[in-house]
Amino acid sequence: MSELSFARIDETVLGTLAPPRRGYWALVGALCLGVLLGAGCWAYQIAVGIGVGGQNIPVCWGTYLINFVFWVGIAHSGTLISAILHLLRAGWRNPIARAAETMTVFAVCCAGLFPFIHLGRVWQVYYMLPYPNQRQLWPNFLSPLMFDVIAISTYLTVSALFWYTGLLPDLAAVRDRAEGFRRKVFRVLSLGWSGAHDQWLHYSRGYLFFASLATPLVISVHSVVSWDFALGIVPGWHTTIFAPYFVAGAIHSGLAMVLTLMIPLRRIFRYEAIITVEVLENVAKTMILTGLLVGLAYGTEYFIAWYSHNPVEWESFRWRAVGEYAYGLYFMVVCNVLLPLLFLVRSVRRSLAWLFGLSLVVNFGMWWERFVIIVGGVAHDFAPHAWGLYAPTVVEYGIMAGSFCLFFLLFVLFCKHLPSVSMTEMKETVAHGR
Amino acid sequence: MAAEPRVMGLFADDAKAARAIRELAEAGFTFRRAHGPIPSDRIREAAGGRGSPVGWFTLAGGIFGFAFGFALAIFTAAQWNLIVSGKPVIAIIPFFVVGFECTILFSVLGNVVGLLVCTRLPDFRGLETHDPRCSCDRFGVLASCPAGREGELLEFFRKKGAEVRVWP
Repeated sequence: MSELSFARIDETVLGTLAPPRRGYWALVGALCLGVLLGAGCWAYQIAVGIGVGGQNIPVCWGTYLINFVFWVGIAHSGTLISAILHLLRAGWRNPIARAAETMTVFAVCCAGLFPFIHLGRVWQVYYMLPYPNQRQLWPNFLSPLMFDVIAISTYLTVSALFWYTGLLPDLAAVRDRAEGFRRKVFRVLSLGWSGAHDQWLHYSRGYLFFASLATPLVISVHSVVSWDFALGIVPGWHTTIFAPYFVAGAIHSGLAMVLTLMIPLRRIFRYEAIITVEVLENVAKTMILTGLLVGLAYGTEYFIAWYSHNPVEWESFRWRAVGEYAYGLYFMVVCNVLLPLLFLVRSVRRSLAWLFGLSLVVNFGMWWERFVIIVGGVAHDFAPHAWGLYAPTVVEYGIMAGSFCLFFLLFVLFCKHLPSVSMTEMKETVAHGR
Repeated sequence: MAAEPRVMGLFADDAKAARAIRELAEAGFTFRRAHGPIPSDRIREAAGGRGSPVGWFTLAGGIFGFAFGFALAIFTAAQWNLIVSGKPVIAIIPFFVVGFECTILFSVLGNVVGLLVCTRLPDFRGLETHDPRCSCDRFGVLASCPAGREGELLEFFRKKGAEVRVWP
């Protein structure tokens, strides 16, 4: 990064905010169509009833809950990069911190949609909120689902505020170079930030507190999500390993999504001098660790099922390996644990094609991990006469595609309208030589 | 009484800006503010002043959130005085989750309030003496002087290697 200067950082990042070409609007249009498709499927479900989805006894939690857990997981690495690595003073996170934080906010938005979709009668969502309604019926905070309401809404609020606080100095930089109406918009968005020394004093302290608070929050949120399952007595779910298992898996999938987003972003916006191969390589190295942690969790689950001598637990895990959804187990083991080990080879983790390809593979594998856990648990629990299978319907696939389009649409809009790399943190990297 | 003229010296690095801030008072000028594209420890030390009280807002938010989370869970459980799954009506362990999440939520809200109060944002009037170069690659030192000494202050900054800008 020795060739970077403050002015060059500004020039490169602000250059990405130039009026977009037709291809950009074509992409936005295509993603909007995808979002409309998802919204249409949801509207159809509301009109006809929740039965248009494939969820039924015994598998009442299908793709809606799988996607909920998937998107919450994706969100986690943004906080890892922006908060935990900030506290650890890992300078390599600076070029990708902004995009990762943004990914967090949008992923939590997508995740937050799925409980609404899964509710069926979405207009009655207010029953989850603690307020005195006409029946004096209050939410029961003994339920892990109510933990979720508190945890996810806290995570969304904290992530959004953390993201916006980090953006403030950069919004001011955009304001100072913009003209006309755009200048007025950024003047308001930047709240009149002037970079005065006393502002920086309070800002640095406040940002540090943000990072310190986001770190335990990120661990708690996916732990709470895991307790949606672990607090049930379903075999394959009722295990104390779930919290660390889910947190490790969340960070693994989130890092993969960071690579999926950063590699095209780097290429399209010519960020080669800022998002260097070394930065991406460090993400890949972290994925080796998270992949091994996930592998350890997979192995521990099987070991404990065997070692416990609990026939129901053992049958559940035996069925996972040889039953109707066995392919899901092999997808998750191969994609999440074995293939990321290729990153041990230096040339693989420095090759953009390999990095991008393996990031897609891990995203795929992590989705299947959630399928195996969520569907596999209830499809084959205690009583053989109650075993059953589940397959998503077209409506569910439509909603799932819509959520992916929504995520990428928000990210694409962000990249072209707000600084996708933190200019302030990059300047700090250059100034402090780390 | 006419307002004191204000002059900003724009420096290429924070070390020179910090040196200028230290020498302003000796030269008989008044240091007003320093602006920069990144936080600078050198400038902060040269400008003096006390530490940031933002943490107290964060702490107050956290204490309130912890109490609020527990109180909310206890209150809602007490409205339906029924034992569920053999757990006590007021169950400390599950309620700790609610207490913890509310601690984080209100700490962060307190942190944001603290930031807004301490930085006095939104503050659009502060931009009247803001130079756009200070959000790019320059460190600006804003100083004022008694009327009639503008020339001396301009010369002071120029000798320190700064570009200068004058506000009436």
